[in-house]
Amino acid sequence: MSPSNETRHDTLHRALVDHLAANLQPSRPLWPVRRRLAVWLAIEIAVLADAMVVTGNDFAQKLMHPPYALEIGFFAASGLILAAMALSAAIPGRESRPWQTPLAVALVLGGTLMLFAVQMRTDTPLGQFVSVGSHCAFVTCARAILPWIVLWWAVRRGAPGDGRAAGAMVGAAAMLFSFAIMRIACPIDEPLHLVTWHLGPVVAVTLISTFAGAVWLRFPRRRASSGH
Amino acid sequence: MKPLDESERSGRSRRRALLMERLQAGDADACRELLDDIGPAVTGFLRRRIADSSELEDVYQEVFMALFEARQTYQPGRPLEPWLFAIARNVAADHLRRNWNRASWQELAADPPDRPDLSIDESPGPAPDLTEALEKLPPNQRAAFSMLKLEGLSLEAAAERSGVTVGALKVRAHRAYKALRKLIGGT
Repeated sequence: MSPSNETRHDTLHRALVDHLAANLQPSRPLWPVRRRLAVWLAIEIAVLADAMVVTGNDFAQKLMHPPYALEIGFFAASGLILAAMALSAAIPGRESRPWQTPLAVALVLGGTLMLFAVQMRTDTPLGQFVSVGSHCAFVTCARAILPWIVLWWAVRRGAPGDGRAAGAMVGAAAMLFSFAIMRIACPIDEPLHLVTWHLGPVVAVTLISTFAGAVWLRFPRRRASSGH
Repeated sequence: MKPLDESERSGRSRRRALLMERLQAGDADACRELLDDIGPAVTGFLRRRIADSSELEDVYQEVFMALFEARQTYQPGRPLEPWLFAIARNVAADHLRRNWNRASWQELAADPPDRPDLSIDESPGPAPDLTEALEKLPPNQRAAFSMLKLEGLSLEAAAERSGVTVGALKVRAHRAYKALRKLIGGT
């Protein structure tokens, strides 16, 4: 740096530091990732408890079948891992663990494969398939709204460098956990119904959350152009 | 500058972490001390990524603003440096991405038009608007626009005359186009 540039840099630095120091307000550090994750999990458990109370599905009996229990466990675990990743991604310098993404993907794939443990039926009348299915899709999204909002807010309080990835993780976490809850709430085990009306919304909302994250979660936040 | 040994480095890291905790508590003196301390490290970090000195100053400011905005994300008790340089890396990457987008757009916009529609003498309609709009631009943007579009200089020649890099000139010209579009009300 030339002497004149150095002087200009020092002047700029001094002005910047003075400005920041003059505008400094106390700022409470964010809760650690584990504590925030525990709060999110508590909300999910409340949503699950509600689903268990209102459902007419005999899930207790079905949980005796390992594929069903494993499938629910896989989807819930993948949601939990993605939520932890989203919360970590909001802390600069906190990289997610290298095993987290492959494990989450493996759990989702494993859970999806287990959906097909039941024989697929294609003889359901289209009208019935759509009317019953669209209700399931709606409830899957509805049960994910509160956890999604809470997780989004928690991530936005941080400083995620990659807003798109953070948005995807937030959306996938809330929706995958909701998928697991819906496997308890919904009495239908037919794979075509589950893939179309339960898993379809998971993909759709994750995509929407990804795009929303690219715009509203990214850090540094966009400022107006300085115009020089 | 003499390189620090391990104990000096960890002592400095602990001191910075303590200053950051005081900064989070709202201590302005700690804020000044910490920012003065990390300033050279941030400059060195950015200089390895950004060659142009005026761009470097812009990004330096952005990094400090981002550190300030994200101060609640620092976890007390942890080393400061990974947090600090992750933010600096994000800001620098964001800046480079924006520059790349601008430069790509500029490459397209820099193609000569089939008909010279910005000539002041030859097009009586838009010329007065353009002249007035040009007057409203900051001097460096006005100069960049004039050299490229009115004098027809190449990017390299205009950059050399302005004493800036081609990249910096492209940014100025892009900002000028954007401001002119807004002022003239074109698409």
